[in-house]
Amino acid sequence: MVNKKEEIVELANNLRWEVGGNFHDSLMESIYKEAGDIVKKTVRKKDEKHAFGFDKKLDKIVTNKWTGFPIMFILLAIVFWITVQGSNYPSQLLSSLLVGDLYETLKGFSHSLAIPQWIDGLLIDGGYLAMAWVISVMLPPMAIFFPLFTLLEDFGYLPRVAFNMDSLFRKAGAHGKQALTMSMGFGCNAAGVIATRVIDSPRERLIAIITNNFSLCNGRWPTQILIATIFIGGLVPANLAGIISAGAVVGVAVLGVVLSLITSWGLSKTVLKGEASTFNLELPPYRPPRVLQTLYTSLIDRTLIVLWRAIVFAFPAGLVIWSVANIHIDGISLADYFINWIDPFAILIGLNGIILLAYVIAIPANEIVIPTILMLTVVHFGLHGVGAGAGVMFQTDSLSATKQLLEAGGWTVLTGVNLMLFSLLHNPCSTTIYTIYEETKSIKWTALSTFLPIVMGIVLCFLVAQIWQLF
Amino acid sequence: MNPQTALLIFGMGMLLVMFLFYPEKGIYYRWKKAILSTERVLIEDALKHLYDCEYRKVNCTLQSIAGNLEISSDKAAKLVQRLESLRLITSENSNLFLTPDGRSYALRVIRVHRLWEKFLADETSVPEIDWHTQAELKEHKLTPAQANALAAKIGNPVIDPHGDPIPTSEGNLPEHVGVLLTTLKTNDVAIITHIEDEPKTIYSQIIALGLHPGMQIRVIENSQTRIVFDAEGDEKILAPSFAANITVELIRDEEEIQKEFNTLSNLKPGEKAEVIRISNALRGQQRRRLMDLGVVPGTIISAEMVNPSGDLIAYRIKDAVIALRKNQTDHIFVKNIEDND
Repeated sequence: MVNKKEEIVELANNLRWEVGGNFHDSLMESIYKEAGDIVKKTVRKKDEKHAFGFDKKLDKIVTNKWTGFPIMFILLAIVFWITVQGSNYPSQLLSSLLVGDLYETLKGFSHSLAIPQWIDGLLIDGGYLAMAWVISVMLPPMAIFFPLFTLLEDFGYLPRVAFNMDSLFRKAGAHGKQALTMSMGFGCNAAGVIATRVIDSPRERLIAIITNNFSLCNGRWPTQILIATIFIGGLVPANLAGIISAGAVVGVAVLGVVLSLITSWGLSKTVLKGEASTFNLELPPYRPPRVLQTLYTSLIDRTLIVLWRAIVFAFPAGLVIWSVANIHIDGISLADYFINWIDPFAILIGLNGIILLAYVIAIPANEIVIPTILMLTVVHFGLHGVGAGAGVMFQTDSLSATKQLLEAGGWTVLTGVNLMLFSLLHNPCSTTIYTIYEETKSIKWTALSTFLPIVMGIVLCFLVAQIWQLF
Repeated sequence: MNPQTALLIFGMGMLLVMFLFYPEKGIYYRWKKAILSTERVLIEDALKHLYDCEYRKVNCTLQSIAGNLEISSDKAAKLVQRLESLRLITSENSNLFLTPDGRSYALRVIRVHRLWEKFLADETSVPEIDWHTQAELKEHKLTPAQANALAAKIGNPVIDPHGDPIPTSEGNLPEHVGVLLTTLKTNDVAIITHIEDEPKTIYSQIIALGLHPGMQIRVIENSQTRIVFDAEGDEKILAPSFAANITVELIRDEEEIQKEFNTLSNLKPGEKAEVIRISNALRGQQRRRLMDLGVVPGTIISAEMVNPSGDLIAYRIKDAVIALRKNQTDHIFVKNIEDND
């Protein structure tokens, strides 16, 4: 019995050599052939030409040499415009509700209960306020941008964008679909990273994940616009200020796209060289978008997941923000220790210690970087008459007030320019970092995605600052 | 600090980083390479060399070990002593032979080497030229159990990407078959079964010509000075010393000979073609993905549309429209068919 078994195993092993290396292929071919035969016998098709007529005509227009790209840019611009315009009012409403009324109510409530001041400060001024801030600035744009984007996807247009853009991305060692995840990144990097699931080639997907942070996200646009208006718009006559500062913001966004392509190319040639790579891009037939379903899934899958992660990270960060401004050792706050310690380095790269501290403690969301900077500036320089108290983030009522405050903090045009660059090139927010880890399950790639942009940002800011000072 | 000094220090810092981490030439890479040549590595490389001699039926000596491992004769002599004391080899008139233990040890190392090459070829994008070098490092690191797990993961392959058989876990190898490319006569048709990956200089030139195992060739001219042959539609010329690194197997059955070498990339929008086969140049995931999409012999494919830059074409494959890049469609053989409707 034992001998028989060994004989069979031996025979099988020897036969393996004769079958050769390609038997998996042959197996697959025979399965396809079998399936094809069954289809031929049993399935009847409608007249094909008729069924594909509309698709073909539309495809001719959207992938045409002359009309393809303009249609793409116009559609994208419309999506952005609707997002910006549409989110204005709800953002203000949410802000006045959560950061205004509800905050006041909570404060009043804690007063009436005579809760110790530090608990009230830590939980309400710190944790709650950070959370409320993140929700009010993050939720409306995302709730508008993502459904619009998903509608285009559902209709079948987005794969055509990937098809049009593939040449550019192929040269950068990436996949055409990275054009989509990049656009998604303009809304939110965490959502952009999740969207890379559409790229089924391992190497190109990693490239798209690591470079998504170069898309200026929803949380950074307001920072860019504010700083550009104050510092760059301020350099030119008032009638040109609007267009010049808008140009500067678009310039930073374009710089982000260029850097993302260059980085993609660099990654595909170095650290990601050995990762497996395949390509295929399906162009599904067009179909009427399912509006309600799209709204529902994009709200659940994209908006709420991202928002929930942001909230989870914002609350503890709020505690930290409040604490560094309020915990004193030998009469000096933790924030001041850090600012004084890092200031020489920060000056070297054309920023200041306050900015760097703000980027460290406001890691959960780019939205709260500016409020944190304003709060820290007031606390650090002991300014009077502005702000809401140590550890309480705030916004000023007008641009000129913000400008005065920042200039009191020692800001120059160089600081403004470098802040814009650093806002583009720094670590992703903690929500995105966490999402990258969830998607890659790799500490190595998460660390690379986190530190690569910081290093690039520091180097670029350093060069700009030093060359600026040469002249 | 004034800006000039700051920029200068920065520049010097960048140079230092380059000096330390420059790929293959930097200090870090050299150091990593240096710590790899331990005693175990030397023993395993020597056994592999001896096995290779045995397979090719030539004699092995202390000098050939020294030459192959790039070590001094003194060091080689010590190594041979050590191998003898481990009863892995025996010597007779300065010729060295493997003992049965030595042979099975050598086969275990070769198994890992070839499995790793197969893994690199199928599951990664590591370029062909680096497979051997990386496998040389890996073969000393995997235990037999890990090697079996790796084999199971990549579908228990029997042939490595150079066409060499992979020893089974029991240490079996099939009889050596095939003939050298240099022995073919004009008009012989054959399939490349093996391309020797050492020495690297010759190997890199052979793969630069686009030759790979599984490729069909037809000899056009074979003389003392050169051998000219058609390799799947392209004419190639090799010096006999290069051709001696290629092993082929003759095709005798006329029906198995593929005569047309038109590729999918030549298909113009609106034209239809039938797939003949996917070239062996597409391996692993690339090949599997295409087959998953239905690119198998007999499938009818039509070219549908071109993107605005003109370098990406979408094809209708089994009623789905799928864009494929040229580096893929160059390796899909098709025959054009007339549009009947």
